[in-house]
Amino acid sequence: MLQQAIVSGLVFGLYFTLVGLGLNLIFGVMRIVNIAHGDFLMLGGYAAYWLFTLFGMSPFLAAVLVLVVFLAVGWPLYYLIVPRLQLARDAEMLSLILFFGLSQVIEALATIAFGTTEHSIPGRVLGIGPFGLLGAMLPKAWGVSALVSAIAVGAVALYLYRTRLGTLTRAVMVNRDEALASGIDTNRVSAIAFGIGIALAGLAGVFAPFMLGSMTPSMGVDVNLAAFAVIVVGSLGNPLGTALGGMIYGVSLLLMQTYLSSWANLLPNLMLILVLLVWPTGILGREVRRA
Amino acid sequence: MKASVFGGLAALALAAGIMTVADGARAQGNMGGDMGSVPKEIVIGDLYASTGPFASISMPVYDGLKLWVAETNEEGGAYVKAYDRKIPLRIVSYDDQSNTATAATLTNQLITQDKVDVLVADSGSVLASVSVPVAREHKVFLIDPTGTGSPLFSKDNPYIALVADPASVIWPKYLADFLTDEAAKEGLTRVAILYSTNDFTGTQASALKGFIEASHSPVKIVFYRGVPTSTSDYTVMINTIAATHPDMVIELGYVGNDIAFLRNLQDSGLKFRGVFSIYSGSEPEVLVKNVGASGLAGVFTYSPSNFMHYKPTAGMDVDQFRALWDKTYPGGKVAFGLNSDAGYVTGLAIGQMLANAPDLTALGLRKGIFAASGKMTTLAGPFSLNELGEQTGELMPIGQLAPDGQNAVKLTVVYPPEDADGKAVFGPK
Amino acid sequence: MPDRAEPPRAGIASSPMRARGWRDLAFAGAPLVVLAAIAPALYGNQLLLFNFVTFLALAQGLNVIYGFTGYLPFGYVGFFGAGAYGFAITVMDFHLGPGAGMAVAAAASVVLGMILSPLLRLSGAYFAIASLAAAQALYDIVSNPALDDVTKGPYGVSLSSVFAPDLSYNVAVGIFAFATLLVIWLRNARFGLALRAMRDDPVSAAMAGFPIVRGRTIAWLLSALIAGLAGGAYAWHISVFYPETAFDISFSIFAVVFTLFGGAATLLGPVCGVVLLYGLYNAIGITVPQYFQLIYGLLIMALVLFLPDGLASLLTRRGIRVP
Repeated sequence: MLQQAIVSGLVFGLYFTLVGLGLNLIFGVMRIVNIAHGDFLMLGGYAAYWLFTLFGMSPFLAAVLVLVVFLAVGWPLYYLIVPRLQLARDAEMLSLILFFGLSQVIEALATIAFGTTEHSIPGRVLGIGPFGLLGAMLPKAWGVSALVSAIAVGAVALYLYRTRLGTLTRAVMVNRDEALASGIDTNRVSAIAFGIGIALAGLAGVFAPFMLGSMTPSMGVDVNLAAFAVIVVGSLGNPLGTALGGMIYGVSLLLMQTYLSSWANLLPNLMLILVLLVWPTGILGREVRRA
Repeated sequence: MKASVFGGLAALALAAGIMTVADGARAQGNMGGDMGSVPKEIVIGDLYASTGPFASISMPVYDGLKLWVAETNEEGGAYVKAYDRKIPLRIVSYDDQSNTATAATLTNQLITQDKVDVLVADSGSVLASVSVPVAREHKVFLIDPTGTGSPLFSKDNPYIALVADPASVIWPKYLADFLTDEAAKEGLTRVAILYSTNDFTGTQASALKGFIEASHSPVKIVFYRGVPTSTSDYTVMINTIAATHPDMVIELGYVGNDIAFLRNLQDSGLKFRGVFSIYSGSEPEVLVKNVGASGLAGVFTYSPSNFMHYKPTAGMDVDQFRALWDKTYPGGKVAFGLNSDAGYVTGLAIGQMLANAPDLTALGLRKGIFAASGKMTTLAGPFSLNELGEQTGELMPIGQLAPDGQNAVKLTVVYPPEDADGKAVFGPK
Repeated sequence: MPDRAEPPRAGIASSPMRARGWRDLAFAGAPLVVLAAIAPALYGNQLLLFNFVTFLALAQGLNVIYGFTGYLPFGYVGFFGAGAYGFAITVMDFHLGPGAGMAVAAAASVVLGMILSPLLRLSGAYFAIASLAAAQALYDIVSNPALDDVTKGPYGVSLSSVFAPDLSYNVAVGIFAFATLLVIWLRNARFGLALRAMRDDPVSAAMAGFPIVRGRTIAWLLSALIAGLAGGAYAWHISVFYPETAFDISFSIFAVVFTLFGGAATLLGPVCGVVLLYGLYNAIGITVPQYFQLIYGLLIMALVLFLPDGLASLLTRRGIRVP
């Protein structure tokens, strides 16, 4: 049972890495907390649902389409709201409020468009029945989602560490003002990062119908709480850190479910607080404390 | 000097804020008070949640109630005994957005500003609970459609009746009898109970446990655990349950929990001799869409009105209601099922209340609705209230699902014997 | 910035500052509290008024920590819930009166504030998220069925034995008065000025000899106390509730949005925020409920983008002092 919990936790957690990845990138680059992250994820899920229901489109094709469309939406969205937000004295705090407003707008529109009933895509689309891994039996959907997540983490790492734009992005992460002073077009770099962040949320959403049971327009809140825990426990700005955070989250959640199930929600929250207090710089990250 | 200007401004603003609220869409209420003159309409005040976590249980109830009002008005209105004639109905409804603080103020708004004749709470115990003290304080009778939790009811509060769902402590009565009687006879004695930790399913779980323990039957509870209601994956949980070797697994959760549980159970490849879930029968279409008919094969569930085909003494039967629902609300954005029926039953209860109440005061209305107790049968079954105002009728028998071959499920009622139209089929050992 | 904090000086506040404090009290604070107290005589929906007063108290409580120190606790509702359940447990389990309930509500929130005070070491969004996680954690504990005997777990609380809507309304007004006094004091006493100096430039403030850690901890505990008292009064007033009610995250969000909208670190800013926005919220809810959430979301976005420093900044920008 212990082994089952740990192995499934690792695989399950890898999906939650994908859930946190976009949120992390946006926070790392722009110091913006995208409270609407869970709602973009929800939109990705509904997109996959409709593509499947109307055209029988496979989730993999839908994933590609969602990535492209969400990137195309996120990019201009950045110019619409973020530069203006950053004029404010306390942009980091205000971002919480701004994106809360955005999340309300998205949820309201989704409710009008989709109704409040639960939706999901039949599990057989990703294969029915379990598969064995290191002595544990796991649903096929978990394996697929974890694989997609691993690819996404790898791609983001490649982007950040192997491309010119990625190097510039990291420069902005370290110090926005210095990056600006050294002639980097921080807005362009940030806009792309913002678009990628939104696209990753959408991608995670495509697999949500398989990983999160079913979807409703109000699912974003719970998704956000999980995503916060994942990115804080890992470290901000670093996609590999998010992978670590996701797996710690997954393992501890499933261990709790196995042994102390009714307290399962408590653990991620406690972990988030403890990690912040015990590792002042985050597990792999940077300064988050003052005084 | 400036300070005083701002103090004055703030005072004005406060007053303005209050006025805005006061003026917003005030209804012309008709209290039964002005004796002699017959009101031209009866105003029903209702709350619903179009968004947020309770939207999926609240909207079907709201739509069901609206349907009843429309149907009644087509016939010239509801018969009101206090005036001995039919009077048209009008709904004044507000959206509390699943927010309890808002639900409380809006209840007060309906009472003090709209002066509604009939007050209806929002669905579910959490949202309905905040309306209870408000109604009581203003001595207004509260129609509680589906707020089934015990804290809502007390001996010293005569201003409430639960009309469309049984009180949560008695929901699992038939289930417990089924387990300790029918299932035990077949040798299924090891029972696992998994519940979501909210008032609705938590109360049922502890009541079920109590019934089983009090039965002195050979049935043993080998697993009894809660999971947070937000749980969206049960894979590990199912493995943990399997390790206790249960014959019967009872999963008590909301729709989302049931979907996740049954999907994960199917994916896990594990089989139990019997599985029970609440919403498989209550919202069968949502479940079939999300789990697939094959995932529901053999699942035990409460048999709600959709499958029972009671002969109603009031209102339409299930098939007629279903037809009207599909005509009125095409597109399936709001689920048809237990909650849509509950909304309609709420309307029927209001109809009986008005038809029996000697006057439209709170205690008059109470008399009216209690007069229907034990006398009315709706599409949800017999209607009966205890002295606290809790619903003790409308109990749901136990049914078992089977795919009908056309990607839908049919339900066979298997317990209690007097309602049964088939025998329970358990999986092999 | 005319309203910028002066550097803290030794000794008590200078007499012009003290006079300003009395003026704020006489012309802004006192009239507001009196208005809140007599409002039920003017308007029938007492519960709506009660919610107004609750949000006024919460907004001012949040103002104490956010306006004067720059910490934005997204999980502010945690103190509110602690107060509500402190009250409920006292009444339910110990069969004591509402007076004792309010005392326990106050104590519970202050103790929780102390437990969470290490969070003040975190900066920016980290603090906001950590406090949110703390509030969630408390909700998870209170609503766990294992604590059925103490908190009634997820099954809900009924306090009908002490139900007293008029008295609890007046108590809420009293809490609002307390919060108002506190904000006036902070705006006009040396302590509050030092806090604001620290918010704008922690290094200089530390060099000027101001005990930063103690100062912000005091502000944090006062802020927690107000929310706890408000939670106690709320539990008393509504008397039947579930953990979801007492820990509803919208209490945090509303308090934050109202405070920001009016303008943090002022006395009248949060008040205007509550009156206008909560008034509007209720008006939308009654007139066009189907677009309720949409309009509210758009409004919040517009607020942040076009008025990030709140309504008060429209005046302070022109050199006019807002109390």
